[in-house]
This record gives sequence, structure tokens and C-alpha cells, in this order.
Amino acid sequence: MVEFEVWAEKYRPKLLKNVINQTHVTERLEAFVKEKNIPHCLFAGSAGTGKTTCGLAMAHDLYGEQWRANVLETNASDERGIDVIRHKIKDFSRMKSIGNVPYKLVILDEADALTRDAQQALRRTMENFTRTTRFILICNYSSKIIDPIQSRCSIFRFRSLSEKDQEKFIDRIVKEEKLKISSDGIKALITLAEGDLRRVANLLQASSSLKKNITEDVVYEAASRAKPKDVEDMLKSIMKGDFKDARKKLHDMLLIQGLAAEDIIKEIHQQIYNLNIPEEDKIKLVDKTGEYDFRISEGGSGLIQLESLLAQFLLFSKKK
Amino acid sequence: MPWTEKYAPQKVVEVVGQKKAVDQFLIWLKSWKPGKKAALFHGPAGTGKTALVEALGKEKNLEIIELNASDYRSASQIKEVIGQSIKQKSLFKKGKIFFIDEIDGLAGREDRGGTGEIIKIVKESQYPIILTANNPWDVKLRSLRSYCQLIKFGKVFYWDIIKKLQYICEKENVKCDKEIIIQMAKRSEGDLRSAINDLETLARDKKEITLKDLDSLGVREREMNIFDVLKIIFKTKTAMSAKLSIQNTDKDPEEIFLWIEQNVINEYEKSDEIAKAYEMLSRADLFMQRVKKRQEWKFEKYMIDLMTAGVALAKKEMYRKFSRYQYPDRISFLGRSKATRAESKEKLLELSKKLHCSTKKIREEFLPFFKELL
Repeated sequence: MVEFEVWAEKYRPKLLKNVINQTHVTERLEAFVKEKNIPHCLFAGSAGTGKTTCGLAMAHDLYGEQWRANVLETNASDERGIDVIRHKIKDFSRMKSIGNVPYKLVILDEADALTRDAQQALRRTMENFTRTTRFILICNYSSKIIDPIQSRCSIFRFRSLSEKDQEKFIDRIVKEEKLKISSDGIKALITLAEGDLRRVANLLQASSSLKKNITEDVVYEAASRAKPKDVEDMLKSIMKGDFKDARKKLHDMLLIQGLAAEDIIKEIHQQIYNLNIPEEDKIKLVDKTGEYDFRISEGGSGLIQLESLLAQFLLFSKKK
Repeated sequence: MPWTEKYAPQKVVEVVGQKKAVDQFLIWLKSWKPGKKAALFHGPAGTGKTALVEALGKEKNLEIIELNASDYRSASQIKEVIGQSIKQKSLFKKGKIFFIDEIDGLAGREDRGGTGEIIKIVKESQYPIILTANNPWDVKLRSLRSYCQLIKFGKVFYWDIIKKLQYICEKENVKCDKEIIIQMAKRSEGDLRSAINDLETLARDKKEITLKDLDSLGVREREMNIFDVLKIIFKTKTAMSAKLSIQNTDKDPEEIFLWIEQNVINEYEKSDEIAKAYEMLSRADLFMQRVKKRQEWKFEKYMIDLMTAGVALAKKEMYRKFSRYQYPDRISFLGRSKATRAESKEKLLELSKKLHCSTKKIREEFLPFFKELL
């Protein structure tokens, strides 16, 4: 891989005090670091507000150069089973730390993806190894974490970021990278990113690779290259009555690009309103979409359910 | 005693048609010392995996401590059965062997931690361990695989099956034409156990097997191919015949589901029929997932009815046309892309370390913008 620098990573704050607009959290975390005594923590908040960043920054502050040896960073969305807890995390927790901090740190990202069984197993591990290891659990919704774990953690809620906060972040990157961006360009970034600083950075970087002068149009162009375009194409095919082609596009998204069915259906739902069909048909389609979305969360397989949904769209297509 | 048992190999050399596997196994056994890898026999059903272990036990007078899929195999259960005895000497026999059958059948939920415990036992055992699996590449076995030497059991060649069947006929005093034996061997598709079972079914209390008897096994029926099934489902207008159509195939309902799903649009042309057929498939899928998730097999019948009769009745009129049915995309895709998928997964994992987020996040948030990352 050619060294390709991702701005979202490059501009991730290294120090707690540089994290944007979460002072209510960072102040307390800084106090923990100063005392070198960290309780188990639960960070909750929406995407791109600085949860992982705070976890990593704390690790840096605590261990300095030796942070890699003392920190286990794992992602529950990729390793959600009980095995991870039983083996990887347990084995790590057992061992003593290196350096002058008496315990190690496990940063468990996207902890709401852990199965309930895994969470139960985690609960024991947290108890048994408190002397050697502290946990930082990160999640979007703390309600998906079982009560016994919540009760063992100090809970920190990360605020959603205001437009001003996002502007501050954009400013930081623009200065450093010597970019030119118009004020409507900034507005567009903020609209599209919905308070997610990671997405701000990605959009900005993608836009800058398109044109030197970043305007509203450039930002939207960069954004439309992403996922929504594929869904739009798929819906176009199906509304022409070409089920075979739409099915192929769906397979491409699900199997080859590996997108999640939930995300595709979310996008479909948003795009129904742009379709060129009678208004009452839109409502019927929204109703259908909701039904199939429900079936997916009931455990139906994404591919079959989405195909079936497309087949329902056929009823509203030109072919009919 | 069933013939499969009666004519099971008593010595290692009697194992049919697996010379290479047997040789590999004997070499492994000879060089085995505590702490070395376990042997993992893998291959389709009826190829002699269990037979080899049992033959070895009889020949060398070894105690075989067995754990198969019928046993509950969570970590603690495994420990209970095997854990204590990994260091004890056998009371009556010369030695022992631990034999864990069908490890790909370890249930995710009920046998939680089973593979971890097996790994531990492999590391600590004072006696050789043999495992068997139909599919050694099952993700469940990923961690275990590195502690095993894989020994492959291929399908038994059909002349080896013929020889064995002839031998049994001779011993049992059954007269059977060579042609019939050849047929039987062929239809077993390399599964020696099923061939012997077939022979026994036909020959019990008889002195002679004729070609007509072979029909009673329902050879042709059993081999009704998937295309015929599709034809019935897509052409019939009666719920019952659609439903019964899948009884005579050897494919499991889940695979048949994929075949039906692939070919709805090759048969049906009207939008409302396609929509209705897919609605049925969608509901069938829900039941299928319920079977899988909860292990409640009672749901399977609903899945089957919906995907067969439901799809059959989605049409108003039978299409009087010849339809060319296709092989399911999904099966061929999964086969083709196994390697590339594994590779890109690896790259994603590497990225996920660098960018401090999950592979899902990377696919959704980064890749759409930066193709150059992969």
C-alpha cells in the first residue's frame, strides 16, 4: 500500500485538551490521568464526536512512548463473540503492565455490538482483573450495554457538535493543508456531515482531491460519489421495470462492496421521495420499505429481503 | 448387527480406499509426542474417518475416549469427559486415544468455548488426539486449525466400493450381478457407508438381487435433479405437488431456496407475479433464519411450504414456454470470491488498526471517498 494519509487520522487530536467541545468530559479525564487512576469508563455519544480520540489520547498521556504495549484496542464490531472476551481480552488483562502505571488499558470500541453473552463474560473479566486492567468501553447508545456493566463504569456522554465546533475543525484542516474553501462550501460540509467530524475530514479531503477551489458544488460532487449513487442507479433500473439489472446492482453492493443491508435500506427510504411517481405511491412504498426493514431486524437475511423489496417496487414501475 | 458395523475394518490396513490418508496418519502417529499437533481427519461422510480410528483401537488394543456431536460439548463438559484423563493411564488397555468426532458440529451457543478447551487439551494431552470434520475450513475451527495436522479423506473410488460390496455379497451368500453392484457404487457417490447400507436394505433375507430390486431403492427418484424440481414448482398450479416436489432431491431446503430465488425471474414475467413470489420468498427466509437462530426445526415446514407452494401459486397462468434455469449467482459468487474476500478482509483489518475503527466503518465512511486505501 502506498502511504496514503487520511486526514481523519492526521487531524485526530493527540491531546485531551485539543478535543473539540467536550470539556465536561476531558477535564475529568485529565484529572484521572494526573492521578494515574482511571476507573472503568463508558463513553457514549454519536459518531465522530471524539470518543475514540479521547480514549487514545488518555492512553498517550498515561503511558507516553510505551502506550502500545499497555493498551489493547479492539473493535467489537469485528470481534463480537464471546471468544474475544474469553481469550484475547482475558489473556491481555491477566498480565501486568509495563512502566510505572500499575494497570493496563483495554479500549473496546463499538461495544454496543457485543452480544449479550459476551457482555456477561466481560462483566466478570472487568471485576476479576481490576487490579491489572481498566476498561474503556465506547458505544453510540449506552442503553445497549447491560446494566451490570454500566454500573461498574463512570459514564461520559459526548455532546453532539454544533456548527461552530465543526467550523473550528474545518478551519484547523484548511489552514494546515493550505486549502481554499468558500463559505457555502463550509456550509455544505456541515450539512452533509451531520456533526460527525470524521465525515467532515473525509468529505473535505475527497473534495480537495477533486478541485483546488472548494465550493458547494465540489463538496456535493464528492459526496455523491459515495454510496447514494449506487442506490439511485439501482432504483432507476427497478423503476424502469428492469428487475434483473436492479438485482445485479444490489448483489454488487451487498456481496462485492460488502455494504450492510440496513444501510442500503436506509438510503432507499431516503430516495423514495425523489422518485418520479405519484405521491400516494411514495407513501405505499415507504410502508413496504418499513415492513422489509422490520423483517431484516427480525433476522431475515439482508439479500433476500432487499431483493423482495425491489420486487415490490416493480409494482410501481413503468413496466406495470 | 448392521452390515456397516459387521464389515467395518478390524485392522488399519483394511480401511478401504484411503491409502494416502492412512499413510499420513501412521506417520503422524509414529512421531507423536505429548505437545505435538492433533490429527484432523476431514472429508465427506462415509469415507472412513471414524472407521480408521476404530480399527486402530482394535488392532493396537487402545482405549478410545470418544466425544461426538450427540454429546454436549461446552468447555466444562469437555473438561469433564476428557480433562481428567489426559494424564491418567488407562486401566485395562495399552494406551488411549482421544477421539472428538464431528467438531464442525460444535454448536455456537450451546458448546460455547468448546474449541478453546479442545486447544488446551491438545496442548496438554499425554495421549494422541484425533478430530474429525466434514469441513475443516469452517470459521469455527479457525483457531483450532493451527493446532492440527490436516489429513484429507477423499471420496472412496467407486472400484474400491465395488470390491467391498462384492466381498460382502460373497460372505453373505448373496447373488448379485456385477452390473447391479456397479450401479450401487456409482450412486453412492463415494460414500461407502451408504453403499453398504443400500446393499443390506436390498439383500436382507434374500439370496439374490435383481435389477428390479434396485428400482425399489428409488434410485431415479433420489436423483431427481434440481432442474426437474424447479420445473414442477414453476409450472404447477397445485400447492401439494409443488410442496412434494422437493422431497426427492438430495439438496437441502436452504440450497433449493437459492435455486428457486435465482429462477423466479427466468420463469415469471408479470410484475405482480414476481412481486408476489418474492413476498413469499421473503417470508420463507424469515422462517429459515428462525430455524437457524433458535434451532427450532418446527419452523422449517413453513419455510418449505412458502418457498415451494407459495412461489408456485404466485402465477395466474402457467407459462407455456421453455425456461432455461440458472445456477444460483450466490453459490457461484461465494465459491469464486472466497480468496479475494479473504484478502480484502485482511486489508480492512490492517486499516482498522491504523484508523482506529471497525472494518464496517471503514467500508462505509472511508472507502467511498478513498478507493486508494485498498
